[in-house]
Amino acid sequence: MLSQISLPISLASERLKPKPSAVHNPPESKLSPAMSSVYQPNGLHSSDAEAGGGDGDGASIAPPYILRETLRGHKRAISSVKFSPDGALIASASADKTLRVWSSTYFSLHEELVGHDEGISDVSFSSDSRYVCSASDDRTVRIWDVETGVQIKTLAGHTNYVFCCCYNPQSNMIASGSFDETVRVWDVKSGKCLRVLPAHSEPVTSVDFNRDGSLIVSGSFDGLCRIWDSATGHCVKTIIDDDSPPVSFVKFSPNGKFVLAATLDSTLRLWNFSTGKFLKTYTGHENSKFCIPATFSVTNGKYIVSGSEDNCLYLWELQTRKVVQKLEGHTDTVIAVSCHPSKNMIASGALTNDRTVKVWVQEGEDQKEM
Amino acid sequence: MNVTIIDPLQGDFPEVIEEYLQHGNMKCIAFNRRGTLLAAGCSDGSCVIWDFETRGIAKELRDKDCVAPITSVCWSKYGHHLLASATDRSLTLWDVKSGEKIARVTLQQTTLLVRLHPGSCTPSICLACPLSSAPILVDLNTSSSTVLPVSVSDSGIGVLPHPRNKFADGSPPYTPTAATFNKNGDLIYVGNSKGEILIVDFKTIRVHAMIPILGGSIVRNIVFSRNGQYLLTNSNDRVIRIYENLLTQKKAVVALEEMTSSFDNLQGTEKLKAVGSKCLILQREFQDAVTKIQWKAPCFSGDGDWVVGASATKGEHKIYIWDRSGYLAKILEGPKEALIDLAWHPVRPLVVSVSITGLVYIWAKDYTENWSAFAPDFKELEENEEYVEREDEFDLVPETDKVKDYEVNEDEEVDVVNFDKDPAFSDSDASMEELCFLTAIPSPDAPEQQDKYVGSSTKVEESTHSGSPLSVDVEQNDQAIILPDLILAEGGNSAAEETVGNNSSKRRRKPSAKGLELQADQVRKPLKKGKSSNKSFKSKNKKNDQDTNGFAPEDDVTDECL
Repeated sequence: MLSQISLPISLASERLKPKPSAVHNPPESKLSPAMSSVYQPNGLHSSDAEAGGGDGDGASIAPPYILRETLRGHKRAISSVKFSPDGALIASASADKTLRVWSSTYFSLHEELVGHDEGISDVSFSSDSRYVCSASDDRTVRIWDVETGVQIKTLAGHTNYVFCCCYNPQSNMIASGSFDETVRVWDVKSGKCLRVLPAHSEPVTSVDFNRDGSLIVSGSFDGLCRIWDSATGHCVKTIIDDDSPPVSFVKFSPNGKFVLAATLDSTLRLWNFSTGKFLKTYTGHENSKFCIPATFSVTNGKYIVSGSEDNCLYLWELQTRKVVQKLEGHTDTVIAVSCHPSKNMIASGALTNDRTVKVWVQEGEDQKEM
Repeated sequence: MNVTIIDPLQGDFPEVIEEYLQHGNMKCIAFNRRGTLLAAGCSDGSCVIWDFETRGIAKELRDKDCVAPITSVCWSKYGHHLLASATDRSLTLWDVKSGEKIARVTLQQTTLLVRLHPGSCTPSICLACPLSSAPILVDLNTSSSTVLPVSVSDSGIGVLPHPRNKFADGSPPYTPTAATFNKNGDLIYVGNSKGEILIVDFKTIRVHAMIPILGGSIVRNIVFSRNGQYLLTNSNDRVIRIYENLLTQKKAVVALEEMTSSFDNLQGTEKLKAVGSKCLILQREFQDAVTKIQWKAPCFSGDGDWVVGASATKGEHKIYIWDRSGYLAKILEGPKEALIDLAWHPVRPLVVSVSITGLVYIWAKDYTENWSAFAPDFKELEENEEYVEREDEFDLVPETDKVKDYEVNEDEEVDVVNFDKDPAFSDSDASMEELCFLTAIPSPDAPEQQDKYVGSSTKVEESTHSGSPLSVDVEQNDQAIILPDLILAEGGNSAAEETVGNNSSKRRRKPSAKGLELQADQVRKPLKKGKSSNKSFKSKNKKNDQDTNGFAPEDDVTDECL
């Protein structure tokens, strides 16, 4: 049902659309909040189970993050922001069909990558930070050379909007998830599609590789997280919660043992996928319409960072699950988050009303920038 | 690899041909330490390095000096160097990352087998086994060579081949021998033509011990298992023998010297034999009693649990797999082409064999989809179980009973950063970074691909299989593409040459009707928005559904689509 949505082509990329629930969205209000979805937090294990649901009751991050820079330039909503693995660059993808690569030290525009025919939903760096791949509504994944800004390769094969993409750590393969309910694994060198995984029964919202590239995790609106063996393409595990709210984002932990899954009932969960049980729950933010990523911040203490539909960024302490900081400044839903690999820096991007990428650093660190 | 959730029953031995690789005429193969790269020596003197995960070519090592067919290839311990021996009596050492030749040495004889010293990270000494004379240690930097002793006289000193046995023209006598380093590289195990195994010290070239093999026939191959615990010999009497190595990994030389001094009462060969009996113990013998097949290229599996040997009978591509206790587990039969080389993947249950036609066949387990992985509460049953329901199973119960009855202790500490080292590679010291993979530089799309793509008819023959990887990439617009000089082959190839290059370096699966159909569809489907695209879009969509729904492969090869 979802894969056959006939949407006008000129609209923003799918990522920015609210998750179409049972209620049909009229075309004018694409980026406006949908009617209340069926998957309201049921309160069973989110707010009652632990006390850390509220924001900032006593716990805080020291020094707190403050806004360092605002990067303007995109003409439409931002869909994804990523730091390069070497930390020197920030890539931002937008519904205006372009990618922008910024320097993370000088915050200047490094390159603008033009070529997609439709809005872009996701961007990912290769491990050597030389290439980026982008997933777009024009059903292709493209590989760009970051230095020159040239489009190197187009990976075609998906039959519907490509929603997410990810390089593997060896950067010889790219995994992409799409509205056609499949995950495709591509060979970077030749551009061939190596595998098509019959991943889900609803659009695939997120894909990620683990640290040695042997497993792929995929999340989808059908409420499942599936783990695949990247060598054979076989499913090794399915994680499902009892209520199965749509999964909007999945990511492996840095050591590859856990999966962080965001669901559209405003909940983030940390799952141990070997046992199939979740270990931590993070709430307090708002996430019921858009596919908002979350990430681990491990450079200075262990935190989970996520965007939210109340225009703020939330930081939770990993172990205690308490909200330690709420970063305000965006004027629309914060739809993209990324952490610098070595510095205490967070980059975030927001939707149409805002259209900016904001860079946050810990207080006292901004003196070191120049 | 997170082996805890991957089905444990899959860690066995391969069963069917999964795929074959084709590039030129490959003669010999070697896996790198982790099994991520496969080096193959070709008959035109070049070496091809395959990225084993994507089954594509990662690098080609070519040099204008090296044109003779390669007889054997060997990786250095951490995968930075590759040594190749060729029929023009030369040995060439390559730097894998840059693709440059480091050293080249010409010997007196053609080497059949080379082994780089396994103890060091940038080895310069290698062991070369020529066709019919004693193995030699070659220093690649200085080109000096040391001949190893191949037999012991009664005085107990290792002797070089007796000068009286030389042929009339002065060429060395015919003493076929096989040799290998042990795991650390401090000892060399030499199997000679009298059916004896000599343990030679690497540094002093002194024979420490001697183990006679029953039957006394020429030793053709001598191979260690990956962990250094087991040794196998392949003899002319058509028997493969497995020995257990009693020496410890470290300080083996010291232990040997101690043993030697403890046998002071014995002299000469007796002493050597006594020491030898403490070094190796015969465990098993493998032979085919019925057909008395001569074995070829035997080796161990990565974990040492399986032994694989190929039949040397011409015209036959048979691979025998035994488990170490002697039980013949499987005979793999390939196409009717002679087999010239064989290797077992260091980690996975995969076997790679080279046939005389120059193709490399990859044998893997016959993967069946694990259905219980698709839903967490599914359980796979071996056979039908009668289900007996409880008394109250189908009673209507109020909602309260459905509350979760387990409490999640969310306060427990979770470690998301530290990772466990892979036990299979526990001996890797961090002194040098291992080269596990070569950076995959995407080969750029050529602008003319767009035209070819638009006007292409559906050519479904094998020869244009190479066309499909390129045709899948489509240029959407007429943006000027500057082709960066990223091609890996030597010389500045243009995109056209890259196309040609791709033609010969196909990675192919055994073609199945479904796979070919899918290729045809991929070729046919343009991505331009237009009326013509809608039709193929729908058909492609349907095909995808069909393919994704057809889980069970109809032949013994998995299709591109699962």
